[in-house]
Amino acid sequence: MTRRFWVFLEQTSGVLHPVAGELLGVACRLRSEIADELEESGDDAIVEGILVGHNVTDLAQQAMQFGADRVYVVDAPPFRHYLNRPYTEALVSLVKKYEPEVFLVGATTLGRDLAGAVATSLKTGLTADTTKLEMGIARKNPNKLLLATRPAFGGNVIATIVCDSRQPQMATVRPRVFDMPPCATKVSGEVIQETIEIPPEMMAVEVVEVIAEEGSKVDIEYADVIVSGGKGLGNPDGFQLIKELADELGGVVGASRAAVDGGWISYAHQVGQTGKTVRPKLYIAAGISGAIQHKVGMQDSDFILAINSDPSAPIFEVATVGIVGDLYEVIPAMIESLRERKGARA
Amino acid sequence: MSTTKLQYDVIVVGAGMAGSTAAAITARHGLKTALIERGQTPGGKNYFGGALYTHALLDIYPDMFEWKPPLERPVTESGFWFLSNDGVVKMTVSGGKMDNDPVDAYVALRAEFDAWWAKQAETEGAFIIPKTLVVDFIRENGRVAGVQTDRPQGDVYAPVVIIAEGVNNLLTQKLGLIDHDIKPASAALAVKQLISIPAKDINARLGLPDNNHGMAISVIGDVSMGMPGLGFLYTCTKAVSLGVGVTLDALQETQIKPYELLQRYLEHPVIAPIIADGQLMEYGAHLIPEGGWKDMPRLYTDGAMVAGDAAAMVNALHWEGTNMAITAGKQAALTAIEAHEKGDFTEHVLSGYQTRLKDTFVMKDLHQYRKMSRFLGTHPEFMDIYPAFLNDALGMFFTGFGKPKRQLYRDILRSLTSRRSLMKAIGDLVSFGRAVIGI
Amino acid sequence: MIHQLVSVKQVPDTTNIRIDPETGSLIRQGVPAILNPYDAHAVAAAAEWKEKLGGKITVITMGPSAAEAALRECIEMGADRGILISDRKFAGSDTLATSYVLAEAIRAIHDEDPLDLVLFGKQAIDGDTAQVGPGAAVRLGWPLITYAFNIREINLDQRYTLVERRTELGIEVIRAPLPAVLTCEKEIAEIPYAPLPQLIASLQYEPELWSAEEPVAYDVTQIGLKGSPTWVAKTGTPEQHQPGETIDVDEVGVKQAVEDVMKKMLANNSVVSVLEG
Repeated sequence: MTRRFWVFLEQTSGVLHPVAGELLGVACRLRSEIADELEESGDDAIVEGILVGHNVTDLAQQAMQFGADRVYVVDAPPFRHYLNRPYTEALVSLVKKYEPEVFLVGATTLGRDLAGAVATSLKTGLTADTTKLEMGIARKNPNKLLLATRPAFGGNVIATIVCDSRQPQMATVRPRVFDMPPCATKVSGEVIQETIEIPPEMMAVEVVEVIAEEGSKVDIEYADVIVSGGKGLGNPDGFQLIKELADELGGVVGASRAAVDGGWISYAHQVGQTGKTVRPKLYIAAGISGAIQHKVGMQDSDFILAINSDPSAPIFEVATVGIVGDLYEVIPAMIESLRERKGARA
Repeated sequence: MSTTKLQYDVIVVGAGMAGSTAAAITARHGLKTALIERGQTPGGKNYFGGALYTHALLDIYPDMFEWKPPLERPVTESGFWFLSNDGVVKMTVSGGKMDNDPVDAYVALRAEFDAWWAKQAETEGAFIIPKTLVVDFIRENGRVAGVQTDRPQGDVYAPVVIIAEGVNNLLTQKLGLIDHDIKPASAALAVKQLISIPAKDINARLGLPDNNHGMAISVIGDVSMGMPGLGFLYTCTKAVSLGVGVTLDALQETQIKPYELLQRYLEHPVIAPIIADGQLMEYGAHLIPEGGWKDMPRLYTDGAMVAGDAAAMVNALHWEGTNMAITAGKQAALTAIEAHEKGDFTEHVLSGYQTRLKDTFVMKDLHQYRKMSRFLGTHPEFMDIYPAFLNDALGMFFTGFGKPKRQLYRDILRSLTSRRSLMKAIGDLVSFGRAVIGI
Repeated sequence: MIHQLVSVKQVPDTTNIRIDPETGSLIRQGVPAILNPYDAHAVAAAAEWKEKLGGKITVITMGPSAAEAALRECIEMGADRGILISDRKFAGSDTLATSYVLAEAIRAIHDEDPLDLVLFGKQAIDGDTAQVGPGAAVRLGWPLITYAFNIREINLDQRYTLVERRTELGIEVIRAPLPAVLTCEKEIAEIPYAPLPQLIASLQYEPELWSAEEPVAYDVTQIGLKGSPTWVAKTGTPEQHQPGETIDVDEVGVKQAVEDVMKKMLANNSVVSVLEG
């Protein structure tokens, strides 16, 4: 018997979303975690990617570079632009045909729109926004099951969810929660074209227009340096100072939910449980109190600097270094210090 | 949306102690009563030390104790702690009358209790309208005919309105019952922390035999840093409530921040061990109208009466405010009932409210203590000198072993006279006595 | 005249939650239960369109009897009918079972009085899974638009709606035939301050009660624990990070503080790689 670990290879406009690579890395690791079972039973396990779109077959190569043994491709005009109905139909058909054991989807806007519909159609279990995935023994099940861990209650509780008795065990994962796996240079693997019938009534929903937003070009998820501002800025103009520091460091601007809710900056910049999860090398939080919903979105950054005038702000608990002071004094001083340093080295 | 007029027999503004009491009484009598509260739930905006007085509660619901009201410990020990900067002289009483059945006062938490108190009014038939602020009155023919709220289509009509809006008495002012906002010298700002401590630790640290015993303490001296005011300590079942209140004008003058005052009190060498390892549950502040008699508004006009904190019905020295509010709420309700019976809502009948109140401890005490608030303001020595002296005197007395007693007494006397001349001290005592008696 | 349905949930206020550090479990006492904020905005959006087009709003919720308070809040915002779907047999339902219960209820309501629009909040602040809305849409076979932040148009004659949703690319304008299912961002509508007569109506409103048998006879294998393929294996509190050092500007001055911080930053390899690069 072949046990299949599937990853949905999200693509938009012919570009593979990095989360697909991250999830292929996870799928490979999960496969290695059942090595003992495979030995005993003589079964084999395979990591496969599912690619849906139009004129996207080339992307299958990239998936294999990140660890996919095989890629199933649904490449046809109805799938040119993401729509819930046709994509759900495609994935559900393939799942019914090949019966994968585990199916991972990136928790992007598209992924979250798609995964729930697929899981419900298959009457199987789905755990959303997981931060940890591993194969483990649970509840008298002879084989290891997918143990999916996720925050709940606004991040105050960590819960481990298991889905037994139904397949596939599905999970969505936010981008940047897992590292990109190494990218192999030479790969070989099968690319299998699949045909899915999409009757016209499945195309009843149309995308009439796409308006690119000013903030949408910003992809803070993969930035190495992020400087974030929060309510402590006092007013939206404070973000100009944040941007200055970010520019000086070659990074991007992030924001707390309070700042976004207040309309000071667009949602694309929001870091936190209901925003983006980030793991930059350097994260600077200015005027952010550090409520748990924000912390879960940035606490795995390599180096965290917190600037806040309130010494009891929870952000200091997660910061590598903190400055208790007025950010309108500290940040300009930092910018100056950075410029001096740059000048001295030039 | 329907355009039928919202019409009631009585409108009560504010579901606190006075308001929920008034609404209960009028509803009980069969009058269609609306109780309008600006908070999410009744009690949400109320805060005190503090203790409720059984006599007032039982006056409204004689069977109350059978319904398990949300009360904390009974007050079985009460008194004064005179705080110096590093010590305390305690004068408390327990046993004897303190063990009456039922006990005369219970520590309570207002958010829970006020919600429960309002629920009883609802059971009596009052209709509670929460999350709605009354902003003005509707007048017809020059007299109050209802209220305007801040909601669209928010007019509510009734021939009589009982104002129980609390210390920020904007509506009372709008009616012209008083012509000014509360003055800083007439208001105390009290800040407190509710600190959770296991019940058995509370018992051990304060010498209480079990969870059915509790303390209500007035703390005088170092706690108010020379400003006119008092500290307090109340024992809840699994928590201790500690706070301090001083007059607004003193705070403005000294620029001391209220949380600094509170922090200092909590760190006092006598207080700190009581709350060691405790968890902060709540932190809050509230204004208390302490001007008393001279600051009271007119209590009624055509179509309206005012009761409770809104009418400055607080006797600060005795910590009596909630029972005055309950009593006044009841009297206002009885007057409203009388007005309905007579079909007359003018001052002619509503003046009966004041007449009724004069017969109760409310007016009697407010009148008797009319000089007290000004007294404490003009006699700061009662806050800073005398408690410190008391600590010194008793401290010297109880460590003067082997010292010739005549010398000891001379030393004690000098410890007083170095702070305050004997003549002035005697004068202070006389003045205090007169302020209490009301001369 | 438009018939809209909003599915809502009563949740603990997670911004006010405390965890017992010893047992790792939720301190549920004293945590207020509120109408899920995203659902509240969805109801507000429905109220705006009811105002524009006339018609009615039905709200449903699956929950314990306390959830009646959430329904009353919806009546306060302009809903006309509130249905509490409550039964011990629903206990332990995960998102799959929940979407089954809600979809069947929506179907029953639609059969009696056809619906034009179904709204969900984008996610519940306790579960945060955002799965129930999409699950219900799939079961009903109706078009799904998630992350809707503005309803541009509802055309009852030509039976379509134009909705704006936000994705990583920007704003998508979607046209879907009616009835359609939306999951909503807070932006979709502001919560109105209810007129007093509406508030009073909500205080006096008695929601309808639906059980696992009446009026909809649910398949017991699809509800509750039996109908829930996922279950919680264990819970815990998130790891506490070791707090790092803090430098107080009041003590050492801005210049020194920044110098100290820069020194620490430059001692860290990750930061150095960024600053050099």
